[in-house]
Amino acid sequence: MSPERDFSSRPRSRRARPLDLGLLALGVAAVLLSGHAAVAAWSARARARARVDQTRRETEEAQSRARGLEGRPEPAEALAYRGLLTAEASPPRVLADLTALMPSDVRLDAVTLSYGEPLGVQVDVVARTASSYDLFLDRLQRSPLFASVLPGEENRDGELRTSIQMAYRPPGAR
Amino acid sequence: MDPRSLFELGDSPVPQTPRSRGVDPRSLFELGDSPVPQTPARAEWIRALLEPGLRSPDLAPGSPSCEVYNGRVRASRPRLFVALDAASVSGGAVARSGDGYRFASHARMALPAGALAPSPFAANLARPAEVADALRELARELSVGAAPACLLLPDGVARLALVDVPADVTAQQYARFRIVPGLPYPAGEAVIDVMPLGPGRAVVAAVRRSIVEEYEAAAMRAGITQDRLDLTPLAAIAGLLREPGPRGGLTVDVVLGDAALCLAAHEAGTLRVLRNRRRDPGPDEARRLAEEVERTAVLAGDGAGTRIRVVGPGARGLLTSWRSRGGSAEPGWRSAGPANGVDAAELPWLGGAAG
Repeated sequence: MSPERDFSSRPRSRRARPLDLGLLALGVAAVLLSGHAAVAAWSARARARARVDQTRRETEEAQSRARGLEGRPEPAEALAYRGLLTAEASPPRVLADLTALMPSDVRLDAVTLSYGEPLGVQVDVVARTASSYDLFLDRLQRSPLFASVLPGEENRDGELRTSIQMAYRPPGAR
Repeated sequence: MDPRSLFELGDSPVPQTPRSRGVDPRSLFELGDSPVPQTPARAEWIRALLEPGLRSPDLAPGSPSCEVYNGRVRASRPRLFVALDAASVSGGAVARSGDGYRFASHARMALPAGALAPSPFAANLARPAEVADALRELARELSVGAAPACLLLPDGVARLALVDVPADVTAQQYARFRIVPGLPYPAGEAVIDVMPLGPGRAVVAAVRRSIVEEYEAAAMRAGITQDRLDLTPLAAIAGLLREPGPRGGLTVDVVLGDAALCLAAHEAGTLRVLRNRRRDPGPDEARRLAEEVERTAVLAGDGAGTRIRVVGPGARGLLTSWRSRGGSAEPGWRSAGPANGVDAAELPWLGGAAG
């Protein structure tokens, strides 16, 4: 039962009791505490957001670098190998090694060098006799400078005309 | 100063004053022209009891006086009440302890016949100046100074009802719905408050604002600082319900006023019936009231083995009359310790100190 019934025509404002003051102080403390907690939470949120933004930027930069690396035509290792081929397998050198194996009645009509890994060589060959061609083919297959020798179709109508694909292996790359 | 003089109500014979009826307040405090003259120090004692935060040097923590004081009114701090009724104004600073009510002060001033006539709609104070004079004298006897007092209006000025409050409204809102349409004055003039009795149950009361203002004006004219304003029957019922008695039995409490009375039947602390009647203090009042008690008990669902308690002016005479006819009834409450002539059962407003 409430002891605070009041039938006054104009209810008076009651004097604060110690309990009221205590509760008021408790309420004020709670408000201050919650305000402090709110400010701290807001600051933490701002810091977290800054960290998220920084991480996002770093991620985007990393992705950008990755995309840049992926967009390069050849990886660095390939570039280094091509540089090595260019230095040790220059076209004159390849041609010299190739002609060193050719019999006298065999000539080259065209030479195509594809620098990569390995260095591809395609030659159009004209041999006066089939035996000369066979000898040339045999020398190529035995040579350590050439590998993956793949003879093309032969035209034995008069002179023997054909093409050969092979890979050149420079001495430093073996 | 011996603090027992405040609570054990000194036993030295003191002559009656012309205006007081029953007990002389000076015998309680040895104030005025009693053998121990009132001094500023004694007035400070009274003030220390009434105003929290003020403390007489004799009541310093740890002092013997303080220990006696704390031991005797441990349950509650004395609070000041000023009650008005048709025959008198009375009041005092009262505390409730485990074994009854303890008076820090008490005084009663008779009113001239017809000066105050409790009514729910007509003007109550036929002669406001005489009522204000009585209140002023009461305040002087109590040495209340500026201490705020709870003003208690007599039975007969309010419309009372026991209601079951639906769950979706407040007791105040429901009171307006239930009581206001039946009031003999415009709804805007009703001052309504409630006495909650537990979940979904309350006693609601409405008093006409102009009547409240009459009493407030009289108190102000007498220099009494009003704290709040309550109704004597509600204060009494609240105090009686705090001591509902043995479990399982029905109790009918009779709260007498000079002009009206309330009958409250309750069982195990649950108020079942509340009736409010005009009082007719004729020669056969005791018989008629016994019949009213019996009707109330029957309305509450049990007409036998009822415990009956009585408080209010005339309670002692009513109890004597009933007992002489073989009935059994008891006072609603008693003083704790010697009361020096103050019969607590005659003061229905004491229930206000139980909260």
